Amino acid sequence: MRSQAGAWEREFEFSGKGVLPRAFSVRLPMEPVIVAQGLVKSYRTGWFGARKTVLEQVDLEVPAGSIFGILGPNGAGKTTLISILTTLLIPDEGEARVLGLDVVRQAQRLRARINLAASSAHFLWCLTVEENLRFCGRLYGLSGGVLRKKVEELLHLFELSPHRRVKFENLSTGLKQRLALAKTLVNDPELLFLDEPTTGLDPIMAQHLREEILRLNRETGLTILLTTHNLREAEMLCREVAFLKDGRLLARGGIKELQAGLGLGDHLLLTFTDGPAPLDYARLPGVLAHRRDGRRLEMILDRAEVRLAPILHALEQAGAGVAEVRVKEVDLEELYREITH
Amino acid sequence: MKLRTELTKIWAFAARSLLVNRRNVFAVFEMFFWPGVAIFSVGLLTRFLKLDPETVTFVLIGAVAMNTIQIAQLDLSYSLLYDVWSKSLKHGFIAPINLGHVLVGAGLVGLVRGALVFVVMGLLSMWLFGMDLSRPGAGGLAFFLLGLFLNAAIIGVLVLALVLRFGHRAEVAAWAFSYLLLLLCGLYYPVSVLPPGIRELAELIPLTYFLDHFRHFYGFPLITPHALGYGFALTGLYLGVSYALLLYTLRSARRRGTLLKLSE
Repeated sequence: MRSQAGAWEREFEFSGKGVLPRAFSVRLPMEPVIVAQGLVKSYRTGWFGARKTVLEQVDLEVPAGSIFGILGPNGAGKTTLISILTTLLIPDEGEARVLGLDVVRQAQRLRARINLAASSAHFLWCLTVEENLRFCGRLYGLSGGVLRKKVEELLHLFELSPHRRVKFENLSTGLKQRLALAKTLVNDPELLFLDEPTTGLDPIMAQHLREEILRLNRETGLTILLTTHNLREAEMLCREVAFLKDGRLLARGGIKELQAGLGLGDHLLLTFTDGPAPLDYARLPGVLAHRRDGRRLEMILDRAEVRLAPILHALEQAGAGVAEVRVKEVDLEELYREITH
Repeated sequence: MKLRTELTKIWAFAARSLLVNRRNVFAVFEMFFWPGVAIFSVGLLTRFLKLDPETVTFVLIGAVAMNTIQIAQLDLSYSLLYDVWSKSLKHGFIAPINLGHVLVGAGLVGLVRGALVFVVMGLLSMWLFGMDLSRPGAGGLAFFLLGLFLNAAIIGVLVLALVLRFGHRAEVAAWAFSYLLLLLCGLYYPVSVLPPGIRELAELIPLTYFLDHFRHFYGFPLITPHALGYGFALTGLYLGVSYALLLYTLRSARRRGTLLKLSE
């Protein structure tokens, strides 16, 4: 993944095995806040065990002001990558610069300018919401009125004010996660890392948190790098994503572009009462591919939730009797399969 | 401005330690119950053995020293153990702080708690068993206390290094190790009664010299001339070595992924 300095167009490259290189052009700001090259990380299992490679020659560039997603299944190396970029882990090989600072040699300066919310929120159990925020603020040198103002701001922003005197151990999972997100803004970071931020949250709270992340990015221009294994989440939040599997970065680009580039989409399965209507299905909006099988018709759509109503309307106009409608959204695994094979 | 920032970071750990201690009923036990039990049991034993007042003082000094060190080092050891237990180690190490902030912040609270224990045990020893705590004078007391706190710092820093390397599994071993050191340095007996070989080990422990120096105010001959100088020299050496070991362990933890494992 290389970019030409000063250019305003970016080529998305697919490095996955068996995937034909394709190019898409979209306008993106080209000032990368993260530039990683050849990152390798391995761990030894036990005292004398063999080394297990977790990251293998990972290159990454993240443009400023964007929400960038690292997607991958459990064990893909997402947390390891994010830990290297946040200075919690030292890579075996390769180098990474975040906000122009080397993550190993200039780690201390970098830490003042970034923040991280880990996949599960953990704070000292016996401190209250407010005390935990105060502690984290002090770690960044905030004191007196500045600290008080910042803590109040965050309590208000994340609707934690009513819970300010509740000990962490007595908070619900959703509130814990909100506290974790509030803590990440205590130092007004220029770059925020969110490691699977909605893990363990109920759908409503997860959605609320996603909206909060979007709002943060929209209103403050804060660059956010998040890891997730939820394709829909990435789709909602991220302008660009990178796919990580078995420690290798397989592809990167906008999800829709990647999906379209690979000919992937949501599956719409229609069963007709008297066979499919005589329509040119390929010309229907959003149809990437279709296949007829007796009374059944399978279509691949770019977005089922948007395209379903007009397609059903067109079928109704054509006088087709539809007995059954089934939608299967494209999932991450499907994308993986296409990218890796 | 920079100094204020540094002091704030130190205060972060001190304030947190104070809050945790305030909320933890066992902290009161640590500070008053066990040291009280120690003074009562050791004092009553000396009474049963019908020891002369000087020997009683000799033994009580050991009990006071041991409990002061144990309490003072706890806050240091706990400073990272709190984070390990609550799996929040990442918060600290992703922030622009260094180990100095952790050690000084938590160490200050340890110092205050240790001083309280020293005063309470000293007063109990005076009141119940007639020990004259004022005999060494302000200077003698101050140097002895300083020696105890520095020894507590060495133990605390070593415990932290072990915690960063092995996680909370290390804490029991670390404290067992600290008890062994305390027993070797002649807490309740002169080091001359230790068997050859072990006695040489005792000479490598700085607390041996601080006890030797403090006891000479009560009429016991100095075993080592310039005991205080030896004590501080060894303390400085061990503090330097243990801090270097802690720095190395932290770097190693960043390399081995221990910080992440301890946060899961």
